Amino acid sequence: MPAPEQNLPDGIALTGVGKTFRGRGRDVEALRDISLSCPAGSFTAIIGPSGCGKSTVMRLASGLEEADAGNIAIAGDMPLAAARAGLTGVAFQDAALLPWRSVRRNVELPLQVLGRRPADHADDVEALIRLVGLAGYENALPGELSGGMRQRVAIARALVTRPRVLFMDEPFGALDQILRRLMNVELQRIWAETGATTLLVTHGIDEAVFLADRVVVMHANPGRIVDVIEVPFARPRDPAIFSHPAFHALCDRIAEVLHGGA
Amino acid sequence: MAARDPRHLFHRSGLRTALALLILWEVIGQLDLVAGGALPAPSAILMRLWIDGADYPRHVLATLYASAAGFVIGNLAGVLAGVIFALSPAMLRLFRGVNIAVFALPPIAIAPILALTLSGMAPRITLAALGVYFVTMSATVIGLSQADSRATDLIRAYGGNRRQQLRLVSFRGALPSILAGLRIAAPNAVLGAILAEFGGGGRWGLGAYLLGSLGRGEPERLWGIGLIATAIAGLSYAGFALLAGRLIGASRAVTMNAALPDAPTEKEHPLLAVALRAGMIALPFALWWMFIWGTGVPALIAKTPLGVVDYLFFSPASASARSRLLEAMGQTLPVTALGMVAGLGFAFLLAISSRLFPRAIRAFMPVALVTQTMPLVALTPLLVLVLGRGMSLTLWVTISVTFFPAFVTLAQGIALVPRSAQDVPRAYGASAWTEMRLVTIPASLPYLFAATRLTVPRALLGVMIAEWLATGKGLGNLLNQSRGFMDYGMIWTVAAVSVLLSVVFYQLVVVAERRVLRRLGMQTAE
Repeated sequence: MPAPEQNLPDGIALTGVGKTFRGRGRDVEALRDISLSCPAGSFTAIIGPSGCGKSTVMRLASGLEEADAGNIAIAGDMPLAAARAGLTGVAFQDAALLPWRSVRRNVELPLQVLGRRPADHADDVEALIRLVGLAGYENALPGELSGGMRQRVAIARALVTRPRVLFMDEPFGALDQILRRLMNVELQRIWAETGATTLLVTHGIDEAVFLADRVVVMHANPGRIVDVIEVPFARPRDPAIFSHPAFHALCDRIAEVLHGGA
Repeated sequence: MAARDPRHLFHRSGLRTALALLILWEVIGQLDLVAGGALPAPSAILMRLWIDGADYPRHVLATLYASAAGFVIGNLAGVLAGVIFALSPAMLRLFRGVNIAVFALPPIAIAPILALTLSGMAPRITLAALGVYFVTMSATVIGLSQADSRATDLIRAYGGNRRQQLRLVSFRGALPSILAGLRIAAPNAVLGAILAEFGGGGRWGLGAYLLGSLGRGEPERLWGIGLIATAIAGLSYAGFALLAGRLIGASRAVTMNAALPDAPTEKEHPLLAVALRAGMIALPFALWWMFIWGTGVPALIAKTPLGVVDYLFFSPASASARSRLLEAMGQTLPVTALGMVAGLGFAFLLAISSRLFPRAIRAFMPVALVTQTMPLVALTPLLVLVLGRGMSLTLWVTISVTFFPAFVTLAQGIALVPRSAQDVPRAYGASAWTEMRLVTIPASLPYLFAATRLTVPRALLGVMIAEWLATGKGLGNLLNQSRGFMDYGMIWTVAAVSVLLSVVFYQLVVVAERRVLRRLGMQTAE
């Protein structure tokens, strides 16, 4: 594991981060001593069992929660400051679209929050909707879309600020296997085009190996990093890699670490 | 989550709030701070309750008897109608007019009619039953139609017919919904019985006692009666909540459902559709006719729909009747609208600010929930004591009866906004206000409509009771006066017009709601 360093331009750096949730009667230590650094333009996947705190890492890094210990630098800044500067993009497990807004207006939401005029970014929005394959659906409401389409709207929304850092929390968790593969390929293409530093939380080992430069494996109680595994495959990766023996070997190794044999 | 568990909420902050309010009340009462002693201290009220102790048993028994009988009858009718409507969408549509009328009618408006046509305890039982019917009927229809479709599919796959599906799956599945309905229905029955006592004379009953004590200027006694009435309604709610908890483990706090279950739109012959629509409008009037025919009350006293038209437009006194009616409407409607807007407005502001000040609202929520079970409008005499008999009384009664249900509906609706929907703006560093503007306020729109639907009839009821008992203006007063003058035509006219106004307003809200929400791609909230 590379030594965590501060002030990575456009990168993500977590140093000794800890988080404890105060419950009724007893406290739950969600994260202990998380150190992780993602260089600019890299793709990092976090994998772990339910309740290992991987989503909490994401919520801390995107500024939705505050860490109790340690330090987090996003593009060399505090998480919320980076968010307010429009340097980050987020996509969650459920698409979290606002049902009363059309596809276009949902994609524009972050611009509005940041106080930018959506009209000035009309071409960007248009291009993003095309990028995620939803051209022609600009004025559709979320209720009229399939689950996969909604998830793609969420990804377009995450990209609308042209983020330097992209946080994705199981963005394809609710999709079926076929669609998921398709979206993995799309995401790789989008990531290559935008060059954003990406942190992906996922349940799927194959998804992590296909997409990431490095796979971070976490264990629960308390949530901690147990291993970081480099993925050596060349880019761009072809979907055919999913049936490659070397791919399977790496997946098996990660599964072993994941299931406790670290 | 601890914060969203209503039981937890009652235990800690709720109890503390209640205690603080009680102490504040005692201090204010002891010092005669409100309207020269109109708000007595709790200790003084308890003393008076002790002194009046001998009067209470007969009054309480009379009210309990009427509410219990009405509760049983209303529930039997409600469940039966609910099953029929769930089985036959055509019947549901045919009876839509009747159902809306029963939901929207201000009970006080038809209390005098029931007193004219029925005798003994029957008017009270009928009004209590009417208050129960709608809640139970809609809970039954919703429960039956929401039954797990996979489970009913299973029965169908083995060749089971509709009746077997109902028996094996739907009834059990509908039980939580029906039990939740009973909880709301129980206090409604108490309110109905008390209102019938206001309007129907008779010696015994808490309503009669309240009315009889109104002129005496004894705040302690009026408050005592109000507290006993509230306790009965509250205990009946708690009793059924406990029963539901025992039977099905459901502990969710419920509010009254103001949405009429909708029949699934199927392809049908256009003639049939027209016939159903015509029947839907005609049926309430037909029932009115049949009711008069069935009771056998002479035409001099009981007016049919034609009798009311005749009274208003063709009788010798019709011009005077029309002008009195219009004047009364001119007094009632603006206050109702103003009170409703104010009540809804306060509720909306408070509910959306629950996102900004969650702790304060969490402490307030139990108080609001408790008021759901209180016969608020029956407490009007207490407000008369505090506020006198002017315009402000009418306004405050209306605000108080609209504010609480609207707040509970809105706050519970806003609590349903998924966390992930708020996370998106927050992840971009949105301020609390931006988050509210972009997410919370638009998301609460369906609940604002639902709250409006719910409060239309209550607002009219509140205004009419205030007018009847205190202010001497408007439709409520016209109704009360006409009773004294034995102006039967006017009694029936005011009753019909009040119900009609309430139905029309309700229908307007429903239409606006459908239009707006469809354009926004949102679902109607219950």
